[in-house]
Amino acid sequence: MSFAPVARRRGTTAQRVQGALLVLPAVLPAALVVGGGIGATLLQAFGLMPVAGPAVARADAFLAHPRELGAAVIVSLAVATVATLVAVVVGTVAAVVIVSGRIGSRLIAALGATTVTVPHLIGAAAIGLLLSDAGVLPRLLGIPPEAWPAWVGGPLWGAVIAEFAWKESAFVALVVTGTLATRIATYDETAALLGAGRWRRFRHVLLPLTMPSIVICAAISFVYALGSYEVSWLLGRTYPEPLPVLAVRLFQGVSLDSRPEAAAVALITCAIALAFVGGTFAALRRTAVWR
Amino acid sequence: MPRSGSRHRRASALALGIGLLALAACAAPQTEASQTYDDWDSVLADADGQTVQLWMYGGDDQGNAYVDDVLSPAAAEYGVTVERVPVTDTRDALNRVFTEIQAGRSDGTVDLIWVNGDNFRTGKAADAWLCDWTGLLPSMAGTDPDDPLLQSDFGTPVDGCEAPWHKAQFTLAYNAEAIPDPPTTLAGVLDWAEAHPGRFTYPAPPDFTGSVFVREVLASVSGGSDKVPATFSEDAYDELSPALYERLSALAPSLWRGGDTYPANEAELGQLFADRQIDITMTYGPATLTDLVADGTYPPETKVLTLEEGTVGNASFLGLPANSDSIAGAMVVANVALSVEQQVAKAQPDVWGQFTVLDIDGLGDADRALFDALPTSPVVPGYDVLSRNAHGELAAEWVPALDDGWRSGVLQE
Repeated sequence: MSFAPVARRRGTTAQRVQGALLVLPAVLPAALVVGGGIGATLLQAFGLMPVAGPAVARADAFLAHPRELGAAVIVSLAVATVATLVAVVVGTVAAVVIVSGRIGSRLIAALGATTVTVPHLIGAAAIGLLLSDAGVLPRLLGIPPEAWPAWVGGPLWGAVIAEFAWKESAFVALVVTGTLATRIATYDETAALLGAGRWRRFRHVLLPLTMPSIVICAAISFVYALGSYEVSWLLGRTYPEPLPVLAVRLFQGVSLDSRPEAAAVALITCAIALAFVGGTFAALRRTAVWR
Repeated sequence: MPRSGSRHRRASALALGIGLLALAACAAPQTEASQTYDDWDSVLADADGQTVQLWMYGGDDQGNAYVDDVLSPAAAEYGVTVERVPVTDTRDALNRVFTEIQAGRSDGTVDLIWVNGDNFRTGKAADAWLCDWTGLLPSMAGTDPDDPLLQSDFGTPVDGCEAPWHKAQFTLAYNAEAIPDPPTTLAGVLDWAEAHPGRFTYPAPPDFTGSVFVREVLASVSGGSDKVPATFSEDAYDELSPALYERLSALAPSLWRGGDTYPANEAELGQLFADRQIDITMTYGPATLTDLVADGTYPPETKVLTLEEGTVGNASFLGLPANSDSIAGAMVVANVALSVEQQVAKAQPDVWGQFTVLDIDGLGDADRALFDALPTSPVVPGYDVLSRNAHGELAAEWVPALDDGWRSGVLQE
């Protein structure tokens, strides 16, 4: 990402075709998989791809479970929002510490790099073993299960939020560290030479210049948390269910109607995610740094 | 740049068109007629060299080991390779079949599924099973043709669409150290739970075990299993279910965590039992209890709770998807699995401990002696004790109705 005011170059037609051809091998499979997946989900949700019987266009799959769907949307948005906020704050602070070159910055960088490589499923299993009622932590602390707060399966979704926030904060930290290590460092030094203190530099130099990276990271984290199944399933509650858990449960349902209903829930999840990403880019385009 | 814009639009339209065409091709659910057989010899001939993918619940270590170490080598003698595909839920296997049928594939990758109940019914409703093939299996001679558990599966006629595999008995187990004087009826269990808040819970339906527990409570609050008609009707559901949900809602505050949430499946319930957070657990596979006590996972004082009114029993089957590309091989595996040798091996408590579907009284003396010589488990009594006063499963239509009703009537209250 460049922050210098460089004018965009259109290039000749040949150059543009060449550029398009170069990205085609990456774009085409992605478009086929995503387009095919969403397309098949659309067809199923609207009854055009039944397991048995004739295809009849209808939209009743969207209205089959209004109460559960409403609860799922609320809990999914809440969990994704809180987890993303925590991840952004922790990740940004970690990034500032990493680039500061102080004692411990290498340790934090190593911790962040290690965390990024751990799959979410393993992370969820580990958090479950650590925080559940009779998990490692309460045993180490000698707290009986009844007295331990309900992190796993609790009403506040503590373990789910902790897992997303822990994993995504490392992701945010690495991306923001990369941004901070660019020419932003020189602006920071200039401000320091001009007498700006630590907080003032963070508030007026580092934060505005890294904001696009932070916002993009936040959008990725949010969309991931919104669509992730395994973490919510392993560490969450029976009710309300987040959108992906509801979709999978319906998809596995015994009745043949439940597959279109699952597809409808998946489409709604997809629509929320796309709307959020669209909103993020619209907001980014307004910022001076992005332009 | 209008020219480039219109070209861009044309390219987008073309891409969209190709995508939709590709999807339209997928949207036609059509499979070719599968190969059928009239005699066993041609099955054996075709099976030689085939690979059979057996999709089954993968969370049971003993079951996995039995298939890998006992069943597979036996099938290999016929030139059939068995590949076990573990799934977390049988519905995953069925969904794979549905997806392949939707995609028009007649060379399906799923050749056998460990299945019963509502999954079988759903597959049958979608014409996903190959039918009328179990009559060909020589090993079927060892079963009792009048055994009601083998004639219908949760009220759905079997019609030769699945081969029997073993019998199961829904079983409650308790920690005798915590409950010196255990209840003897299901109503007594619920009363015990209310007298000991936080020490009992059950998995949330649609989990298999939670679902069968709810059906047992339905029988209990209705005055016995014979008071619930096996065939489903809206009238019967409307008449009987309110008492069930009322009872379970009243019980909820006395459950683990005050009924605020429920374990998602039998494994989570077993974890709570192993952690001594609850004192009663339940399973449809009591065979696993022996090992869980022996390796120290479950309390040493774990005992099976036999109820006066009996519990529900059923049979598990091997279903053969109609679009399998190894039909002959799958038939051979189902036949081998039903043989006396395999049924005896599977019944060994240290192998899998599953109850046989064969009619032991109808077997020859030598074969019967093999079953009589089976060692007994220190935890689990024999099938004759477990299945005392046992009753059959309700029709499969009851299952989703009760599960959905539980979610809205008990869980979301």
